[in-house]
Amino acid sequence: MPVITLDRDRFSSFVGRSLSVEEMAKWLPWLGVDIEETEPDCVKIEFNPNRVDFSSYGGVARAFRGLMGWETGLPKYEVKEGKIVLKVDPAVSEVRPYVVGAVVRNIKLDNDSVRELMEMQEDLHWGVGRDRKKASIGVHNLDVVEPPFAYTTSAPNDVRFVPLDKTEEMTLQEILERHEKGIAYKHHVDWASRYPLITDKMGRVLSFPPIINGELTRVSSQTRNLFIDVTGTELNAITRSLNVLVTALADMGGTIEAVRVKYTDRVLISPDLTPQRMELRVDYANDLLGLKLSETKAIQALQKSRLDARRIGKGVLEVLIPAYRIDIMHEIDLVEEVAIGYGYFKLKPTKPATVTTGRQHRAGEVANYVRQIMVGLGFVEALNFVLANDVDHYQKMRRRAGKMIRLANPVSTEYSIVRQDLLPNLMKNLADNKHQAYPQRVFEVSDVIEISEKAETRAERRLHVAGVSSHPTANFTEMKSYLEALLTNLGLKDWPIKETRHPSFLQGRAAAIYVKGRKIGVVGEIHPEVLNNFELENPTSAFEIDLQRILKTTY
Amino acid sequence: MAELRENEQKTMLALERLKGKGPVDQIVKVSALAHAAVMRAALSLTAKKLVKTRERKQTVIALNKEGKYHARKGLPERRLISSLIKLGGEASLDDVVEEAELERKFLTIALGWLNRKGWATIKKSVVKMLKEPPTGTDEKLLSLLDEKGPLIVEDLSRELQRAVSVLKKRKLVEISEKTLRELELTDAGWDVVKRGIEIVEEVSQLTPELIRTGRWRRVKLRRFDVTAPGPVVYPRKVHPAQQIIQRVREIFLEMGFTEIRGPIVETAFWNFDALFQPQDHPAREMMDTFYLAHPTKGKLPRRDIVNAVAKTHENGWITGSRGWEYTWSLDEAKRLILRTHTTAVTIRYLAEHKEPPVKVFSVDRVYRNEKVDYKRLAEFHQIEGIVMDKKVTLRDLMGTLKEFYLKLGLKKVQFWPSYFPYTEPSMQSTVYVPELKTWVELCGMGIFRPEVLAPFGIKYPVLAWGGGLERLIMLKLGVEDIRHLYKNDLGWIRRTPICQ
Repeated sequence: MPVITLDRDRFSSFVGRSLSVEEMAKWLPWLGVDIEETEPDCVKIEFNPNRVDFSSYGGVARAFRGLMGWETGLPKYEVKEGKIVLKVDPAVSEVRPYVVGAVVRNIKLDNDSVRELMEMQEDLHWGVGRDRKKASIGVHNLDVVEPPFAYTTSAPNDVRFVPLDKTEEMTLQEILERHEKGIAYKHHVDWASRYPLITDKMGRVLSFPPIINGELTRVSSQTRNLFIDVTGTELNAITRSLNVLVTALADMGGTIEAVRVKYTDRVLISPDLTPQRMELRVDYANDLLGLKLSETKAIQALQKSRLDARRIGKGVLEVLIPAYRIDIMHEIDLVEEVAIGYGYFKLKPTKPATVTTGRQHRAGEVANYVRQIMVGLGFVEALNFVLANDVDHYQKMRRRAGKMIRLANPVSTEYSIVRQDLLPNLMKNLADNKHQAYPQRVFEVSDVIEISEKAETRAERRLHVAGVSSHPTANFTEMKSYLEALLTNLGLKDWPIKETRHPSFLQGRAAAIYVKGRKIGVVGEIHPEVLNNFELENPTSAFEIDLQRILKTTY
Repeated sequence: MAELRENEQKTMLALERLKGKGPVDQIVKVSALAHAAVMRAALSLTAKKLVKTRERKQTVIALNKEGKYHARKGLPERRLISSLIKLGGEASLDDVVEEAELERKFLTIALGWLNRKGWATIKKSVVKMLKEPPTGTDEKLLSLLDEKGPLIVEDLSRELQRAVSVLKKRKLVEISEKTLRELELTDAGWDVVKRGIEIVEEVSQLTPELIRTGRWRRVKLRRFDVTAPGPVVYPRKVHPAQQIIQRVREIFLEMGFTEIRGPIVETAFWNFDALFQPQDHPAREMMDTFYLAHPTKGKLPRRDIVNAVAKTHENGWITGSRGWEYTWSLDEAKRLILRTHTTAVTIRYLAEHKEPPVKVFSVDRVYRNEKVDYKRLAEFHQIEGIVMDKKVTLRDLMGTLKEFYLKLGLKKVQFWPSYFPYTEPSMQSTVYVPELKTWVELCGMGIFRPEVLAPFGIKYPVLAWGGGLERLIMLKLGVEDIRHLYKNDLGWIRRTPICQ
């Protein structure tokens, strides 16, 4: 989750009151942010991805003033009319179809605000832009370039410019191949024949979106006037990103001025900071929150959340949502705004009236019977992962790997498949416990997953139990006795046993167990080669059965 | 006067026969008790002031290997002089050595001692006897040691004691120190003995034979030192983490919740799409979710449900939401993954159980594509609780959580606003853990969004909460490295108490 570090003095100046670190740490969580760390002069907060407006001091400060009741209702932002034109070349529709822009004048930046601006862009790229795919932002020093600007395209090797943080001119192709940002983001454009580009009247390059800006328009603490472009694949995503950014810049003291974005078929005046309108039924909010707020109280709560509302009918409010609140998509989101404005800290827990009786799942119940019997027989329970690897699972068990459930993106070679049986894990457990006293008797009752072509998810989860006994005199007979004790106590009456061949067991000391004509499992003495593979020195006998087959559990 | 145990009685009687005083070894012989038994009796009798124990340091002398050899064969100088006598009192050295069959390595020693003892002279390889060689004390001690085994130096005659140092210098003996314990009856001890001691057979292990024959009435059952430590044994048990899983399940059952269970290999549809998580959401990326290389695609439910979900994502459908404003992909929804949360099971269940009330829970395995370290696992347990009813509220959710935590022994709870993609309003809860003296974040919660409910025709509010269980298990078991929970270290399982 994104993080912003709020310096006490700087945050105080944005809020307009002198705050202590303690006050900040006490109240900020009630806005829905996590306090990550408190230091003597700053508070580091983590905010949720839906609230990208918290990526700036101004954004957090607005909400904070509202929560404290120091300033409520809709924050006002004025967009001045402007003459600057951004012309859109229709060719961009092939690669990155949308652009909007804005101008911010008379802003006073310092090193802190330049850094903040950069971090805000990264948060927007991540939170709204989906890593620059849907939206990416370019902020430029307006005074070094000359409007009108053009959003156009160029062949990979036709244009050269000095990209940010470099000293030499590079072609677009070279940037994709050699520049760090080019390498990181080239997948957004490298499939197209022409790449997107923003240029000024003289053809100078402001930006190669969504890859990198030009060094020419670098923003520093000396910059006074800004030109902002946001390009992307979705118009809503780029207008929202722009709204969040320009309102934060206005909070830093800048004046917002509109840009005329000329598409072939229309002209967009951006940014458009007109508040969104949405209805809220007060009863709907009260019913979900368990409150009995009057219309007036509900309006007050919304105003503390920096929204505005007015009554438009009995129990119905029209709510005005500021342009930077891009997270509000449904009436339910307004219910949460009511709760935050009201104060989560004032909500008292109640007990629901719902009366029901509980019941455990048959699989859980059966697993518990098995646990009781196995512990009674002198076995310790192991708890292993369903995630497994084919070395332990097949190779060391002397089995040929057949069809198995494999991960497409394993995080390590240790966990690359999903287990189909429990025994390999128990063998691994014995291998890990060689220094402990013998005899060792261990069992597991848990899930395995089998491929099942007819199943909805092509896989079937099954409850198994397996046990191992390892000590100098472990043998087939011992384990068969344990298994039969288990089956008897699970209420079974008849389980024919037939000699079987199994690569993990010694031939002549392995048997299959049948119930009602179906094979449910296997019992035997582990093959010495398997013992060698797990570096075990004691004879070991084992069994594994599929409980699903005998207890008719679904899932 | 405390009762005397059998071994104590026997020790007292042995002392009486030894006229009130004797070393432990002798008491062992007289009493026919084991040495350890006499020592234990000596300790307890001393405590009862019936016996005094005296300790004496003793020097023990015993032959070493070379000493034993010479004791049998005679000292090398003795072997030479005897041969010389046989050869007439004067002979060449070679002849004497040959006659004596003296080993080469002893030759220098033998000649040196012949000279020192003044028995013979050697000139130009001719040995000439000077006097009749008497048997020295060194030789006497040597043969005494050979005959009787180790001896106590202090008990030897003064003459022999002087020979000790000679043999010691010649490195033919081992000298060691030993503490001799001697017991002596005190006046009180004599009184007890004079009053007469009647030995009653004492038994430590009650046997079937004793019980059956009634002989237990005639024997004395030895009193045990009940404070003495015994051998340690461990019970076989359910895995400690599983025990906590069981406890959490019990809490849900006590609170009237029904357990649900669903697939671990799941379609992206039920894991994400059905929960209104957009297909380009970062959580759906390969970096966070395990996708399957085989099999890769699953089946989707009825077309009308799939369509409703698709429309809700694209434009909000009939929910009044603006939706996520993108083109929803059927193929993406079919992709098979390892479920990232048990909420996939919940929404499956709710889709089939729309009539209120519904109170269900699961405590089950979930997966995240995480690099495993001391605080993160790729596979872990999630707890999840769901209440669906006509009139349930966010405050009810808080109340339910409070009760849930209380049953886990967590009394102080705080609720904060938070965010989850499929709930609104959402909350985070922190609980105070007295053992750690700190607040710990546990379950997240909220009310399912209308965009989640509408496609499945669910008409009533659904309260949901959930969170990873391992953190709680670690707190309860005092484990600091999360990986340890699944190491199955038998030593740890044996040592971890069942009752937490």
